[in-house]
Amino acid sequence: MKEILEGIHLNKIFRDGDSLVVAANDVSFTLHEGEFLGIVGESGCGKSTLLRLVSGLIKPDSGELTHDGEAYTGMSPAKTGRFLQMIFQDAYASFDPHMRMHRSILEAAPKNVSEEELVQLLDDLHLEAKLLEKRPGELSGGQCQRMSIARAILSGADILLCDEITSALDVVTEAQIVSLLQGIRQKREFSMMFVSHNIALVSQLCDRMIVMHDGQIVEAGTTKELLENPKQEYTKKLIASSRMQSL
Amino acid sequence: MTKRKQLLIRIIICATVAGLIVLATMFASFLAPNDPYATSAAAIRQTPSAQYPFGTDNLGRCIFSRVLYGGRTTIGATFLLVAISFVVGTLIGMLCGYFGGIADRLLMRIADVALAFPQMVIAIAVAGILGGGIFGAMLALGITMWISFARLARSHTYSMKNQSYISAAILAGKSNWYIITRHIFPNLLAPLLTNGLTQIGVTMVGISGLSFLGIGVTPPTAEWGAMINEARAYIQLSPWAVFFPGLAIAVTIIVFNELGDLVMDYREM
Amino acid sequence: MLEIKHLSAGYEGEQTLHDINLTMQPGEILCIVGESGSGKSSLIRAITGYKGLQVTEGSICFGGQELMRGKRACANGVMGREIGLIPQNPEGSFNPIRTFEKQFREMFASHGMSMEEAQIEGAFETVGLQDYKRILKSRPYEMSGGMNQRIAIAAAMLLSPKLLICDEATSALDVTTAQLVMDELLQMRRDLGTGILMVTHNLGIAKHMADRIAIMYQGELVEIGPCQDVIDHPQHAYTKQLLESAPRMSA
Repeated sequence: MKEILEGIHLNKIFRDGDSLVVAANDVSFTLHEGEFLGIVGESGCGKSTLLRLVSGLIKPDSGELTHDGEAYTGMSPAKTGRFLQMIFQDAYASFDPHMRMHRSILEAAPKNVSEEELVQLLDDLHLEAKLLEKRPGELSGGQCQRMSIARAILSGADILLCDEITSALDVVTEAQIVSLLQGIRQKREFSMMFVSHNIALVSQLCDRMIVMHDGQIVEAGTTKELLENPKQEYTKKLIASSRMQSL
Repeated sequence: MTKRKQLLIRIIICATVAGLIVLATMFASFLAPNDPYATSAAAIRQTPSAQYPFGTDNLGRCIFSRVLYGGRTTIGATFLLVAISFVVGTLIGMLCGYFGGIADRLLMRIADVALAFPQMVIAIAVAGILGGGIFGAMLALGITMWISFARLARSHTYSMKNQSYISAAILAGKSNWYIITRHIFPNLLAPLLTNGLTQIGVTMVGISGLSFLGIGVTPPTAEWGAMINEARAYIQLSPWAVFFPGLAIAVTIIVFNELGDLVMDYREM
Repeated sequence: MLEIKHLSAGYEGEQTLHDINLTMQPGEILCIVGESGSGKSSLIRAITGYKGLQVTEGSICFGGQELMRGKRACANGVMGREIGLIPQNPEGSFNPIRTFEKQFREMFASHGMSMEEAQIEGAFETVGLQDYKRILKSRPYEMSGGMNQRIAIAAAMLLSPKLLICDEATSALDVTTAQLVMDELLQMRRDLGTGILMVTHNLGIAKHMADRIAIMYQGELVEIGPCQDVIDHPQHAYTKQLLESAPRMSA
């Protein structure tokens, strides 16, 4: 399978008052075309930082990022937005509270997007077109998050970066979003990096998984490999705990 | 009735009174019964009457007419000054908050220093150097007033900058100018307008105060503070010449301050 | 041990609990599962006598003793020693600016117990906290939410109550830390026979801990039964939906 996105030896250190936080420590990964890649780990493991590094919203201290074989390290997020889009944890905060959904959603879209295309996409996401006239505060959390998926897909980007996109939603809505993502995957070509602390959820959705801890990649592999035969102690502990906390 | 509704009713009452005051001064030339600048040796220090509702002053000028015209000076200058400070302060605050960096730190330190002195002290010093005149007074007050808008705009922009919808707009390829004007400014407008309302009362006190001290509006231009200053010399002979412009200042400031406070309360509910 | 009959309660103008009936045996683990707005937090607040919540009908008995006094339960006599509470957000249960040592000492004193450091060390270790001396010297505001939560759990454990109420006690924790807490709760029940009333939105946790599971939905208790029965043969439509939605580990 073709490699669409690659991170090579990425490093990022944050300054927090007087102390330094190593958020990414020599992180390397590959995302293949059409693949759903899960990034799991506990709070503070650096999984969200990795996503922001990939998006270009923050710049790595060192290391390289490539898209389709071409380096884009340090590229401004206004340009990375052409091939990747982010979906955020707090769906409400990812829309301007004063703007109607219609305008927000079209912000990232190319100029020639037709109204039919938009309505078709909303339909795929089980959203009614009349919701476009509403502001984010008037939508439910699930509707709002589906709108942000619509925005990302409509932009034409073929890589979606999802940052804990279901963790603010209840279980039933979460399951809906996950099955919608699986559904659109059949209709539209896109790849995804899916960051979540919920390993059971990632195991259902993603083809491969990366386990992170303290800013480092502990283990990576196909979901099946990792679940059935984890090699690192930390991965074993994480998976065993997750098993005890899911059905 | 809910608290919110009660508050709304009070806001409407206050806004109506404020509107009436502004209208009355705007249409002073139609409402004033006499020429505010016409002196009359025959009507010096007359008590209020049908012809002179608020009486006359030491030069026989109609105080009612002068209060109306004086309001035009005070309120007009106040609105203009608040509007200019609003625009300048908001723009600077948004740019500082959005881009950060050295310019931001420098401007905010200047703001801190300027805020360390009472506004009126700086204004008196500056107006004194400029030697009076309405524009001198406005400049003197404006030197510190933009800061309140700038700080408010900066802090809101700064916290908004980290919201996901700004990140989403950046990834959508939108320019900084687009993000500032379409996303940040509309979300700042409400708190900034509230601040503008509360600044109106303060500014009126400032302009009338400087005029009272003789370093604002210069006679014979009608202005409430200047009128009190002129009339205080003969306060025992004709107290109405001090009382009515004083009443006008008090009522106007109370109404605008109350309006600002109520709107702020309403927004916080 | 705990008996709730025909309990209805709510906040001003809004009924959040409708005719709840449930009983708990000593040493039993009962998990109440529901999503936000299901009324599960209201139920806990009713039992612990939360001030804002008004009980409109019903009774709450603990150990044969009626807790209801007028509009709310008065658990003063039993709270702490007999009934322990691990809240969802521990910030509320500690004074932020006093050291843990002082607060622990006070807590023990008010229940007529002496404070033994070895005990505290043990309790801290079971929730994954090392260096108990340093923690005792620090103050709640200096700690992260997860740390405070673990300390609150350790505190509740130290008092070894007959009934421990856990209000989403693990939902703010990382999965491995949550596991430590779950294991410790099971250990407590085994060693001390502590009954545990656990409120959670996670059916997975309920499946692995509970003797019985109760499902709440829109202020009503829609289903209650032995753990395996509820998981394998759900009766109520909502339970079925929850079971379908809950993520499973799968390759």
